[in-house]
Amino acid sequence: MSTHTRIDFHDQIAKNKWKSFFLILTIIAVFIALGFVIAMLYDPASFFVIMIFAIFFSLLYVVFSYYSSDSIALASVRAKEASRQEYREYYSLVEGLTIASGLPMPRLYVMPSRQINAFASGRDPEHAVICVTEGALEKLEKRELEGVLAHELSHVANYDIRFMTLTAVAVGMVAILSELFLRSLWLRNSDDNKAGAILLIVGIALAILAPIFVQLVQLAISRKREYAADASGVKFTRYPQGLASALKKIKADNQPEKHISKAVAPLFFANPFNANILSTHPPLEKRIEILERM
Amino acid sequence: MAIWLWVVGGIILLALLVVIFYYNRLTVLSNRVDNSLSQIDVQLKRRADLIPNLLETVKGYAKHERKIIDSVTEARKALMGAGNLQKKIKADNQLEGALKSLFALAENYPDLKANTNFLELQKELSATEDRVAYSRQYYNDSILSYNLLCRTFPGKVFANSFGFKEKEYIQITEAEKELPKVKFE
Repeated sequence: MSTHTRIDFHDQIAKNKWKSFFLILTIIAVFIALGFVIAMLYDPASFFVIMIFAIFFSLLYVVFSYYSSDSIALASVRAKEASRQEYREYYSLVEGLTIASGLPMPRLYVMPSRQINAFASGRDPEHAVICVTEGALEKLEKRELEGVLAHELSHVANYDIRFMTLTAVAVGMVAILSELFLRSLWLRNSDDNKAGAILLIVGIALAILAPIFVQLVQLAISRKREYAADASGVKFTRYPQGLASALKKIKADNQPEKHISKAVAPLFFANPFNANILSTHPPLEKRIEILERM
Repeated sequence: MAIWLWVVGGIILLALLVVIFYYNRLTVLSNRVDNSLSQIDVQLKRRADLIPNLLETVKGYAKHERKIIDSVTEARKALMGAGNLQKKIKADNQLEGALKSLFALAENYPDLKANTNFLELQKELSATEDRVAYSRQYYNDSILSYNLLCRTFPGKVFANSFGFKEKEYIQITEAEKELPKVKFE
């Protein structure tokens, strides 16, 4: 890979942050466009009622998931709190990384699985949780495990868990809004004018396409965040080879995991299932390539 | 008339928020530099604290290796007594060198090498070495982001008016990084 130009992790972090920012702007733009078209079709009063309704329900959702996301995720993969006596190297590596990153010590968990994988959760660095599989502790060398843990700690440092929760809420709002709109069409008085008809068709098309589009954007954000976490993980360890070699081991080793629910897949270090177009994670090859150019 | 009032009020509020943001940002980053500096100290002390136990264990198996044991003791003493960070780092490098020869020495004493206490301390010391490196790295990172904010627009304007000054890197020499010279004659 020496023919490629070197990638500076500082640039990489800044670039990824901007991309994520633009992606979330796109979601908001779609939400407003959808609201606008609906407002043109109905009188503004009903539009506000619909918007308030959608926002209220998604707020309920965000408050709930904000406070319980970590315990739900941990319970769903049957993770156990790691004891300091039993997992000394695990603790020692994370403690070193908290010094490198200036973050508080997260709570550490282990989940039973042969796969090499890990995830981070918790609403902010003070309530952060890191969980690794037994397979990862067993099969990874010290520097590889450190790379993986630095990646997870970066999710904590970048507030990725909070960000992804908010994204999920934005996506949910669009979905609820378009659903309400499509259902409300049955109750709509027909006033035949041409402009109204065109607007109606545009509205229906938007209501059907918006949730799909917004979900694709959400997946793209998730992938960008993985690249960002790789880059800032390297900022902590200054050793891209460790993470790259861990990813290579994952590529060679991992079998699709049956026991992990699809709902928690975006949290993981590597996709627990086979990769596809609708993946929450970027392809391993691409991640390894970028790391090797750092 | 009223609309102008709103616009002016809005602009003043916005300007106020920007000022508050930059003041807080500068304070946070400046504090972070100080904290990261003391973190280096904490890790160096931790390392020094591990030495007496290690020496006790070594003495149990290799009492007559006075030279190396003394060199470790002395390096530790220098580290504990060093007044400023530069001196501490220098003493720490010396300690690291002395420890290396101590661990090399252990190769000659299979019983010592197999001692669980010794292995434990060896692991602990190598973890501490990582931590010293990490705390220095974090110090460099902190000072970099603080100085960057002080040096670039618009942070520069606020740093000047609030009296935040760029901080100087404390010159920390890397542990003998030069390659050993090989002579061909």
